[in-house]
Amino acid sequence: MKALVAIKLTYDVNQIKFERDGTPILDSCPKVMGEADKCAVEEAVRLKKKAGAEIMAVTIGSSKEHYRILRDAYAMGVDKSVIVRTENPERLDSLTIAKIIASLNNKLGPFDVIFVGSGASDTHSSVIGPMLASILGYKLLANSDKILFEDGKFIVISTLEDGQYKIATNPPVIITVTSEANEPRIPTIKDILRSKRKPIDEISLENLDVKTKELTLKNLTRYVVPRKRIKIDATENVEEAVDRLLKMLREEGVI
Amino acid sequence: MVDAMVYAEDISWAKQLASASKLFGNAVLITTTAKETKEFSRYYKKVYVIKVKVFEPLSISKVIEKVLSEEKPNVFVFPCTNKGRMLSGLIAGKLGLIPITDVIGISKSGKKFMLTKLTFGGNAKVDIEIELPFIICIAAGSFKEAEAGEVGEVKELEVPKAELEVDFEPRKMEGVSPEKAEIVVGAGRGIKKKEDLNLVKELAEILGGAWSVTRPLAADYSWTDNWIGISGLIINPKVYIAVGISGQPHHMMGVRGSKTIVAINNDESAPIFEESDYGVVGDLYKVLPVLIRKLKEQRGR
Ligand SMILES: Cc1cc2nc3c(=O)[nH]c(=O)nc-3n(C[C@H](O)[C@H](O)[C@H](O)COP(=O)(O)OP(=O)(O)OC[C@H]3O[C@@H](n4cnc5c(N)ncnc54)[C@H](O)[C@@H]3O)c2cc1C
Ligand SMILES: Nc1ncnc2c1ncn2[C@@H]1O[C@H](COP(=O)(O)O)[C@@H](O)[C@H]1O
Repeated sequence: MKALVAIKLTYDVNQIKFERDGTPILDSCPKVMGEADKCAVEEAVRLKKKAGAEIMAVTIGSSKEHYRILRDAYAMGVDKSVIVRTENPERLDSLTIAKIIASLNNKLGPFDVIFVGSGASDTHSSVIGPMLASILGYKLLANSDKILFEDGKFIVISTLEDGQYKIATNPPVIITVTSEANEPRIPTIKDILRSKRKPIDEISLENLDVKTKELTLKNLTRYVVPRKRIKIDATENVEEAVDRLLKMLREEGVI
Repeated sequence: MVDAMVYAEDISWAKQLASASKLFGNAVLITTTAKETKEFSRYYKKVYVIKVKVFEPLSISKVIEKVLSEEKPNVFVFPCTNKGRMLSGLIAGKLGLIPITDVIGISKSGKKFMLTKLTFGGNAKVDIEIELPFIICIAAGSFKEAEAGEVGEVKELEVPKAELEVDFEPRKMEGVSPEKAEIVVGAGRGIKKKEDLNLVKELAEILGGAWSVTRPLAADYSWTDNWIGISGLIINPKVYIAVGISGQPHHMMGVRGSKTIVAINNDESAPIFEESDYGVVGDLYKVLPVLIRKLKEQRGR
C-alpha cells in the first residue's frame, strides 16, 4: 500500500497583526504546519503499522520553512518526501493545488490513499480533498474524526451538521482528517536528528503538467464585522448592568 | 436554462442564498430535504428534491451534475457548511472550476463580478475579480433572508444508489437544535466545570432557545458532541449570547449570521467585544445568576 499526505505551511492566524490601515503584516506572522495536517501525518504514519504502507509527504512552496515542515513529517515517521517548488504558493488557488497533488499521484503513485487536512487554519476552504476525489475518480471520506483500517477497508467517523456518519470504503480513497482525529506524536530527539539526514526530493511546478488561470486578488485588508459595540460594565453593580442589558434587548425586540 | 443553481438543506440557508443569487438572474434550488419543499419553492424558480435516506456526497454530486447538464447554470451557490464545502469541491473538480469559499459580498461590473471573501481564518477579507462561470460558497449571515414569493414548482429526482456504506446516527439534541433556535446561548472556556454548563442550559431554557459550546469544550473536554464555528455548526439566530468566549475568528465565523450578539466576558479586551452589539464586562458566575433570576421574575416563574 502507498499513501501520500499533503501538508501546508500555514499562517498562525491567531497571531496575525495589522497595520493601522488594515494591511496584514504577513512577514512577521509565524508559520506552522496546521493542526489538521499534523493529524493527517499521524494517521498516515499509523497506517504503516496497520497495513505496512509506504508513506510520502508533500508540500508546495520553496522557503526554508517548507523544508522544515517536511523534516517535521520525517521526524514523525514518513518514509519519503517531495517538495513541489514554486515561488509564491500563497497565490495558488484550490483548483491548482488539487491539480498539483493529482499530477503527483500520476507521476509518483498511484497512491492507494491520499490524506489531506480537513482545512488549513488560514485558508480553511476544505475543498481540496473533495476536488481531488473528483479529479482522480477516488472515493471520498471527508471530515474524518476517527479513522480505522480493517480487512482492507477504511472506515471513518465523521461529524457533520446533522449527526454522525460512519462510512466505509475500499481504496483508492481521499481522506480529509480533522484536528480531532488523534494526538499527533511528538518526535524524540533521535527522530529529529535522523530526520535531518533524510533526502527531500524536488519537483518544480513547471515540470508538472498543471495549467491554471490566475485569480485577480485585490484589497487584502482586516475584516471587522459591523456591530453596535455597546459596553455594559458589570464589574461592580451586576443588578443594574443586567437591567440595562435586558432593557436594550427588549427595545430591540429580540427577547 | 437558468442562471444560478443553489444547494441548501434548510430554510434559513435557502433564503440567504436566494438573496445572494439575485445578481445572477433566476435561480433553481437543489436540496436533499424532503420536508418544507413548498416553503423552499417560494424563493426559487424551481426546486429539485433529491430523495435520499442518508447524505453521501459522491452520489449526491452525481445527481447534481445531471441537473447541471440540463439547466446549464453559470453560477453554483453553496452554503459554507461542511456539506456545502464537500459538494462544491466535488462539483468544482468535475467542472474544472475554482470554488471560491467564504464569500461575504458580491457585486457586478460589466461582464465581471467582484467577490469579497474572508481569509486568514476570518481575520481578513480580499476581493476577487472573476468572470462566469464560477462556484461560490457563501459565509453564514452575509446576506439577508429573501422575501417569500409564490409557491413554485417542485420536482423530485430519483434516489441515487449510495456509493459507499454509510451508517448515520442523527444528532441527539438536549433541547432545541441551535441551527433552528431563535436564541442561542454559547458557552466557552470561561465555564470552569462541566456542571456549570447548567447555568447556560438554564438561561437557554428560560429564553426558549438552544445552547452550544466552543470547540475546546466539545473536542478537548468532551462535555458535549457539537460546537459552533467554522468546523462545527453554523447558526443564524436572532440573538447569540456568548458566555465566557474569547471570540476567536474560527468560532465567530459560525455566529456571524446572528442578528444581535451579546457577550459576557470578564476580560475587557477580549476580541469578542469587537464583534458584539452588547458587551457585558463581568464575571459570568456573577452575571448569569442575576440574569436568570430577572428573566424568571419577568416570566412569572
Ligand atoms: C482550523 C481550526 C478550526 C477551528 N474551528 C473552531 C470552531 O469551529 N469553533 C470554535 O469554537 N473554535 C474553533 N477553533 C478553536 C478556536 O481557534 C479557539 O481556540 C476557540 O474558539 C476558543 O474557545 P473559547 O473562546 O471557549 O476559549 P478561550 O479562547 O480560552 O476564551 C475563554 C474566555 O473566557 C473568558 N473568561 C474566563 N473566565 C471568565 C469568567 N469567570 N467570566 C467571564 N468570562 C470569563 C476569558 O476572558 C476568555 O476570553 C478552531 C481552531 C482551528 C485552528
Ligand atoms: N500549499 C499546499 N501544500 C500542500 N498541501 C496543501 C496546500 N494547500 C492545501 N493543502 C492540503 O489541503 C488541505 C486543506 O486545505 P484548505 O482546504 O485550503 O484549507 C490542507 O490541510 C493540506 O493537507
